[in-house]
Amino acid sequence: MTKKYSIFLTVLFCAFIGGVFLISLLLPKKEFSPLENRYLEKPPKLSLETVSDGTFMEDAEDYVSDHIVGRDFWVAAKAWSERLSGKHENNGVYFGKEDTLINRVKDPDMDKLNKDMGYVDSLVSNATIPVYFGLIPTSAAIWSDRLPAGAPTADEQSIIDQLYFTTGANTVDLYSALNEHNDEDIYYRTDHHWTSLGAFYGANALLEAMGMEPLNLDDYQKTTVSDQFYGTTFSSSGVRWVKPDCIDTYVPGDGVTVTSYFGGNPSQGSLYVDSYLDVKDKYSYFLGGNQALCVIETEHTDAPSVLIVRDSYSDSLAPFLTERFSEIHLFDLRYNKTSLKSYIEEHNIDNVVVLYSFSNFVTDQNLFLLGQ
Amino acid sequence: MVFSTPIFLFCFLVLTLLVYYLVPRGLRNVVLLCSSLFFYFWGERIFVLIMLLSTAIDYTHGLLVERCQKNGNDKGARWAVASSVIFNLALLFFFKYWDFIASSLQAVGLTFMPVLNTHLPIGISFYTFQTMSYTIDVYRGDARAQRNIINFGTFVTLFPQLIAGPIIKYKDLGDQIDSRTYSSERFASGVQIFMVGLGKKLLIANNVGMLWDTYKAMAPGDLTVAGAWLGVLAFTFQIYFDFSGYSDMAVGLGRMLGFEFLPNFNYPYISKSITEFWRRWHISLSTWFKEYLYIPLGGNRCSKSRWMFNLLVVWAATGIWHGASWNYLIWGLYFFVLLMIEKFFLLNLLKKAPALVGHVYTLFFVLVSWAIFGLENFTQLTAYLKVMFGLGGVPLINGELGYYLSSYLPILCVAALASTPLGVSLYRRGSVRVQQVVCTVLVVAGLVVCTAYLVDGTYNPFLYFRF
Repeated sequence: MTKKYSIFLTVLFCAFIGGVFLISLLLPKKEFSPLENRYLEKPPKLSLETVSDGTFMEDAEDYVSDHIVGRDFWVAAKAWSERLSGKHENNGVYFGKEDTLINRVKDPDMDKLNKDMGYVDSLVSNATIPVYFGLIPTSAAIWSDRLPAGAPTADEQSIIDQLYFTTGANTVDLYSALNEHNDEDIYYRTDHHWTSLGAFYGANALLEAMGMEPLNLDDYQKTTVSDQFYGTTFSSSGVRWVKPDCIDTYVPGDGVTVTSYFGGNPSQGSLYVDSYLDVKDKYSYFLGGNQALCVIETEHTDAPSVLIVRDSYSDSLAPFLTERFSEIHLFDLRYNKTSLKSYIEEHNIDNVVVLYSFSNFVTDQNLFLLGQ
Repeated sequence: MVFSTPIFLFCFLVLTLLVYYLVPRGLRNVVLLCSSLFFYFWGERIFVLIMLLSTAIDYTHGLLVERCQKNGNDKGARWAVASSVIFNLALLFFFKYWDFIASSLQAVGLTFMPVLNTHLPIGISFYTFQTMSYTIDVYRGDARAQRNIINFGTFVTLFPQLIAGPIIKYKDLGDQIDSRTYSSERFASGVQIFMVGLGKKLLIANNVGMLWDTYKAMAPGDLTVAGAWLGVLAFTFQIYFDFSGYSDMAVGLGRMLGFEFLPNFNYPYISKSITEFWRRWHISLSTWFKEYLYIPLGGNRCSKSRWMFNLLVVWAATGIWHGASWNYLIWGLYFFVLLMIEKFFLLNLLKKAPALVGHVYTLFFVLVSWAIFGLENFTQLTAYLKVMFGLGGVPLINGELGYYLSSYLPILCVAALASTPLGVSLYRRGSVRVQQVVCTVLVVAGLVVCTAYLVDGTYNPFLYFRF
């Protein structure tokens, strides 16, 4: 190595690591990463306690990697280099066909599932009204033809069948309802949720299970409210080469009263919250995102009422249900710790639906509340 | 702290180099000692005291040995060496092997040793070996005792090689600790080697490591014969690129700080025999055992049975050094058996056979050895080996295997190529100008891609917690 070149290489290396250090240090720190859709690590708290138990060091390491200059670039660069090295996934997200990003679904812990089914059944025996149970398969199952060849993912169909077989609740066959339309845009390509169209087929599956009159898609006018939606799988995958999704609505949503309980207190809500269309988290356009409780009252006052033990999939389902029910109560076990049984009795609920997406159900830790 | 984190590369290293080169030469060991202690404290906290204790004890023992020898008191010097060795081994025994022995005894119904659930301080196997060899070196006259405790502390705690080696002998480093020269050539060659090591760790080892973890986690019934081999092949590459990557980073960082460490790996997977493999794999460990265990036991200058016994001890020790678990012992003894067979007749046969036979033979037994090494749980190990040899009652291939093969084939090919000296010899054949261009492109690309993997480092294991 010549002297001149060795100086050049030394300077190059030191300038790179020193430059990243200095610029990262001086640059203003962001609290939230819109691209990754998550809050970045806060500055670590230095105290005798955090140092002696090591949390300071762990937090500091996360802090440094979260606030490094050009973080969005590095994340994208890693996804790109994984793709170029022949990989078909990054950070647990498959690079599917047709620009589709699909979360890998791990084989669930069957012991946990069986325990949770016990809670569903105790709800059935506690309640004096019909209880329905529905699991919404993920896009990994319904769009399996878009997965990379041989890509491992949980066998959702057989697990759902198995759980349906044992439960005492009335089951909702969402798998078949969605699978029949798997050539349509029933899931977002960049998000884990179903689209409004998927939710429409889901709503009809539910109505069918309840013996109610199904909805007809021809009665609705599709409205595209956003064509710039990049969802959660986009965020976590690091994949930046896919085109955005559209968000569509079908039900106009006039004449309904929505009461949202984001904290403990009621506030006036809406089926659609336009302000979310301007931010990253556009799926929260439906009902305004996760909330402990949401009560939707419709003009069909003689129709029955329904309570849905919800996850976020119910938010885009709710508009369709306004056509057939007088009241829709969306009850979220993660944030709402009041007794489900007494809530049902107090509010004269006619039907209860435990409705979860497959991947939320197999990981949720709050299902024991169903029995309380 | 480990090298392959953003905080190491972009904070610790930057500040350490900055302060190190700003202070006058006389103070650089102080800077190194402080930064090394900080480096160790970051991950191990209170256990830094164990390392300091070890430093203080061996420092005094070194002086003691020298004083005894000066006074012509060889017996006293021997006692001092023995005391140092006993102390270091006791330290290692307590933190690393107590729980293993206690739980093994409890398994057969002997409960006089309680299981203490002690934390194994990272790097303890490395630094106890280094300090042990120090007093022995002083006794043998291979090195002079270090009078300056700062310098001795710098030797023990030197962060580039503290947690994953190479094991550095005092006689090789003592002079450099006292005084070393700095040059941009040395620094720049350090950058090159460090970048090679970082790339080996982040781009190859972590990558194929995910494949091994996938197969390791599968229930035996879900495996396939080909998949089990693919998994072990992935681990074969993971452990080499991870371990030699760490050694390269250590050598590179050492050069940036003005040190010259001996290389630790020399393309082990191109070996034509297991004997050759062990001359190329983790060289600092095998030479350590040779110099401080095998030769003191009598080496091969003794009866055949005694010689075999010496080798048995060395290989049992080598095995158990890698972790306090039965599979590591078996792994060591497995190599003892292979080496015995080679020494008695196989080596001569291999010499006459075509080179390919030697390569295939060596890789086969090395691959199997990594299955033993990688699976600590005995039931899992036997089940996995059964699958590998077609006795698991599982299919040869399945669709999942196709998925993993297509995902990992490119990186496995890169790993296979990078296991040979092909790239380096091609590079050396280029003109100075070509070398400079290639080197610059590789360093820049390496920095960019490695930073990407550091920042989005969802999978970045540290394999040496058991060492």
